Amino acid sequence: MSAEATARLRPTPQAPVREERGRRLRPVEKTAPRRRPKLAYALVALTGALLIGAAQMGLTLATTHDSFVVADLKSQQRSLGLEAQALEEQLAGANSPQSLASKASELGMVVAGTASYLRLSDGAVVGAGIGAEGVSTVNPNGSGAVANSLLDDRAAAAAATTAAEEQPVQAATAEDAVAPPESDTPPALTDGLPTPSTH
Amino acid sequence: MTTRATRGPRRRTVVALAVVFAVLAAFVVRLVDIQVVSADDHVSDSLEVGNLGTTTAIAGNRGSIVDADGTVLAASTLVYDVQLSPSLIAVVDENEKSPPSYLWTEASDKIAAVIGTTGEQLRADVAANLEENPESQYLFLKSGLNTEQYLQLKELKDEGLAYLAMKSRSVRVYPNGAVAGTMVGFLNGAGEGQYGVERMMGECLAPTDGSQTYRTGKDGVVIPGSETTTDAVDGGTVQLTLNSDLNWYLQQMVAEEAQRQGAASATVTVVEVKTGKIRAAAEWPSVDPNNVDGTPSGYWTSQIFSKTFEPGSTFKAVTAATIIDQGVADWSTGVTAESREFFPNGAEINDPFSHPQYSYTLAGALIDSSNVALSKYGEMVAPEVRHDYLAKFGVGQKTPIGLYGEEPGTLHPASEWDNQSLYTTTFGQHFTITAAQLASAYQTFANDGERIDLSLIESCTQADGTVVEADAPEHEQVVSESTAAQVQRMLENVAVQGGLSERIEVPGYRIATKTGTAQTPDGHGGYKSGIFDVSIVGYAPAEDPEYVVVVTMDEPTKLRTSAATATAFQKAMTQVLKTYRVKPSTEPMDELLPKFK
Repeated sequence: MSAEATARLRPTPQAPVREERGRRLRPVEKTAPRRRPKLAYALVALTGALLIGAAQMGLTLATTHDSFVVADLKSQQRSLGLEAQALEEQLAGANSPQSLASKASELGMVVAGTASYLRLSDGAVVGAGIGAEGVSTVNPNGSGAVANSLLDDRAAAAAATTAAEEQPVQAATAEDAVAPPESDTPPALTDGLPTPSTH
Repeated sequence: MTTRATRGPRRRTVVALAVVFAVLAAFVVRLVDIQVVSADDHVSDSLEVGNLGTTTAIAGNRGSIVDADGTVLAASTLVYDVQLSPSLIAVVDENEKSPPSYLWTEASDKIAAVIGTTGEQLRADVAANLEENPESQYLFLKSGLNTEQYLQLKELKDEGLAYLAMKSRSVRVYPNGAVAGTMVGFLNGAGEGQYGVERMMGECLAPTDGSQTYRTGKDGVVIPGSETTTDAVDGGTVQLTLNSDLNWYLQQMVAEEAQRQGAASATVTVVEVKTGKIRAAAEWPSVDPNNVDGTPSGYWTSQIFSKTFEPGSTFKAVTAATIIDQGVADWSTGVTAESREFFPNGAEINDPFSHPQYSYTLAGALIDSSNVALSKYGEMVAPEVRHDYLAKFGVGQKTPIGLYGEEPGTLHPASEWDNQSLYTTTFGQHFTITAAQLASAYQTFANDGERIDLSLIESCTQADGTVVEADAPEHEQVVSESTAAQVQRMLENVAVQGGLSERIEVPGYRIATKTGTAQTPDGHGGYKSGIFDVSIVGYAPAEDPEYVVVVTMDEPTKLRTSAATATAFQKAMTQVLKTYRVKPSTEPMDELLPKFK
């Protein structure tokens, strides 16, 4: 025990007086008056209870509200996902080499022979150094075309859509419809080589 | 100030408070235990015992298959089957509280436009269905609608046409169609891998389904806190070593060439010399996994891995490597050969062309592809030794790729070789191989005698992003580097001095090749006459080989010899070198080897 603590325990000068007073017993004259309950305590307790109730209701409201928001967002996410899926489906097959090669070939592009390389350090041509012959080594629209039933489906779908859209004005476009969509002979060039429009 | 009078009540208050707090603490502990610590147990308990809530399965997606550049070759997507409830139509139309936007007469036209039929037809179908059963709740309309069509129907349904119902179902889509179709493979009706990588890598691709349990309020909104979700784990993504663009070109090219030569079928295989990775496996005909039934069932499997044939002259290089590696010969060792010779044991060997007696070098025998000369070179080592070298070059063993239905080919033990096959085995007969094994054998030559096992799978990327690389391929030094160097030099001379030299030339590059012509079994123990399975194998650039290309063609009818494959090989090699930006040859070739002594 520290010195301070010991000092604290030592009887204070008033102690004898207090003991003397405590020893003096006398009969109780009447019951101690009942203390008036303090209004403040009741108020505090009540307000507390109300506050807790209110807070809980607020929280419940918030979670319920959130639940609706979540449901909303989820359905939004789902519909956006579906939209993305629909767009991806439009791409499926269109980005396949079959489709690209066939389109490129329609534009008059060819798969050429060997490549030559230019060495930057001395400008030398490495390789055979012969130009492309302008004849493709393969014909993507020919009999050897690699199968892709996705493209057939797309073509059928596109044809159906076009037919549906053109139905009202069929009479006017009948001649166009009769012409085969893909011609084997390239169109005649009148204004020089056509150039693709780029951004 | 503490007095004796005040001490008593205060102590009581303290004790009372302590008791209150102790009880409160007990409640708090229990509350935390119920709500936090073992909440999951209680929830699952309540669901099991009380049968509360709804459990729905969350389907995971089967993983994708991509090529070496990440181009998607196989992916899963959803399609929709649409049906309607005929008896509900009248109920919906007569609903005065919330009438539908369109009555059936108008709605049927709109629905018909989406599913590709006519309004009259649809109305007739529904009328017929109702006549059969006025209470009918089910009329199947169309299966396999795409998302766009589904969204159109969903819009109609949202406008009050409650009798429509669309169910989704997962299907597999192969965006590139038949490109590497036999390698990618396809699924069976139950959605399990049936062939190809789809089957081989089923474990990586398969998803793990999850589940969701929840309770809903009257309006279908999930009651907060009632959800327990086990997430589905999507299948992993398998990356192949293939290059789909190159594969497309080769398939397109070989289909044209095969048709030009009137062949029954044809393949091109491309293997990277320094890694053993298969960069292209092109076949014609090839299955389109989107429409498996559109291809005859005989071509549902890979011809490259499952069709065996006697290689013929392409394996003369193996005989040459055997005797050089055994130290009994080099490229200049000479033998004399006539175009037809009878051997002491009674065997009769013919050359494909008639010629006077030549005094061949080994290089010359390969350039002219003389069967008689190779028979004599083969005699220089014991048959068992030749058998063992054939086995070391992979004959009779499946490649380690593990494709379902792969054939190992046949290699009979040397003790079972008869008088004739004792010699024919020197020039690629009496044993069978696949195109993949042929590519592997020439990869060995091109890689200085070291075989690197073929591989098709690059890696499996799991849904959480963990990349599991395929096992590293095994390396084996099959013949010594010096042996390989001599064989390489001879093969380049075959390309330059052989009969097809002009037709297989790739401008700017030095190449090495060997052709092979195999008789095809007629199914009755003999051979078909006048019709062959032909092949050509080669690699480039000769001075530092990078790619092996094998072209096979079955039973061409225009040019019936291996010459039929020349154009296809030239185009294939050109495209491979261009695709991979291989540096053109700058070192000139060593001086030509003399054919004759």
